[in-house]
Amino acid sequence: MNELITIDAAAALIREGRALAIAGPEVALDALPRGRWIGGTIPYFMARDGGVVDNQARVFVTELPASGATSFAHYAANELHNLVAKAPDNGYTLAIIPAASEAHKRFAADASSYEGAFLKPTVGWISGVHLSELGTRTPKVYDGATGTRHEDGVVAAHVTLPASQMASVEIVNIFEPETGDVLRFDTTTFEPAECTINGEKVNLAHYLAQRGLEHGRQPLVGDYAGANINVSFQSVNAAQGKVTLYAPVFPGVDYRVARPVVDYSGEFRRQLASFDKSGAVFSCNCILNFLYGELEGQAIGGMQGPTTFGEIGYQLLNQTTVVLRVL
Amino acid sequence: MSAIVPPLNHPCWLRLANGGLSRITTKHLGTQLMTKRLERSAAPAPDRAAEIHSFFARWERALPNEIAQLSRA
Repeated sequence: MNELITIDAAAALIREGRALAIAGPEVALDALPRGRWIGGTIPYFMARDGGVVDNQARVFVTELPASGATSFAHYAANELHNLVAKAPDNGYTLAIIPAASEAHKRFAADASSYEGAFLKPTVGWISGVHLSELGTRTPKVYDGATGTRHEDGVVAAHVTLPASQMASVEIVNIFEPETGDVLRFDTTTFEPAECTINGEKVNLAHYLAQRGLEHGRQPLVGDYAGANINVSFQSVNAAQGKVTLYAPVFPGVDYRVARPVVDYSGEFRRQLASFDKSGAVFSCNCILNFLYGELEGQAIGGMQGPTTFGEIGYQLLNQTTVVLRVL
Repeated sequence: MSAIVPPLNHPCWLRLANGGLSRITTKHLGTQLMTKRLERSAAPAPDRAAEIHSFFARWERALPNEIAQLSRA
C-alpha cells in the first residue's frame, strides 16, 4: 500500500492495526483514529495518474512492515539525534518534521553529524500547508499512537528489516550544475548575505539579480563528492541584499547555480524511466518541482508519494525526489 | 567473489581518512554524503578512519565496487 486513498479507507487500515505513514491535509489527519501511524500535513501529492491537490478528503498512505517490525515515536527538537540512536541496526527510519519549526532548522544543520547517521538510514519529509494558507495555518506532524499533533519536533517510524534485506536511500535530481562560477560560504546558514566567488566576497542577492536569477527557480547545487545536492531559494530580495533558503548552505561545499530546467515533467519521466524502482517502498517529491513544473495532472513515471516542503535522505534535501528501496 | 572489507588495523583506513576517500568512485548517496561530511570534519584522523571502516563494514554487501577500491585509494 503506497497510494492516495479516502479518509475512511485510511481509518479502516488503522483500525486493522496496520503500521502506516500518512500524508494529508490537517482536516483529514484530525479525523483519523488513534493507532499505529505517524503523519504530517500536506495537501499535495504525486499519485499514479499525476499530481494532485486535495486539501479535504484524501490522504496518502504508505504501509510499513507489520507489527513488531515498526515502532513509533515523537522526539522534541533537542532530541533529534534519537532518529539515529533509537533506530534499529538493520532497517530505516521514516521521519516527518514540520516546516519552519525549530526541529526543521536543527535537522537541516545537524543531521549528517548524528552518530551513525550513515549506518542507519533516515528518509522522510517536511510537512507543510496549502500555499494559500501560508501564514494562517501551521504545518503539523501527528503521532497516531498517542493521538497527538505537534508543531515542532519529529515523528518517526523506526522499521526493522530482516537480515536478508537492507534499506537503500536514493535520489532523483533533475538539476545539473552549470559550469561557471563556484560559490563558497563561510558559515552554515539559511540566510547567506555574502559568498565568495572567484576569490571575491560578493553579496549573493546582488549576484543573482545581476544574472537575472532573482526569480529563484534555479537552486544552488552543492557538490557532495559527486552527488548533486540542491539548496532552493525561498526568496531573493536584491533591493535589501537578502536571500532566504529552504535549506542551509555549508562551509566546505562548492556550490554552483543549477542550469534551467524547461520541461520538468519530461525530465522526470526521462530520469525515472532508467531508475531502478524495484523494491521501492516510499517516495516523496518537492513542492517547488510541483509548482515550477506545473505537475498537477501530469504523471511523471511511476513514483508516488507526498509532495513536500523538504525531503529527507540522510539529511535535508530540496527540489529532489527521494526514493527508499528495500533490497 | 565479493570484495572483503580490510580489518580496522589496515593502513588503508588512515589513508582514506586523510583524503583518499574522495578518490573513491561511487554513485552511492550515503557514501557521497559521508565523504563530504568527513571532509568537513575536524575530528582526529583515527576517529574518521574508524567511522569509514564502520561504514563499509555495515554496507559490505551493497558496495562491492567501492570496497574493491579501498586498498588502492
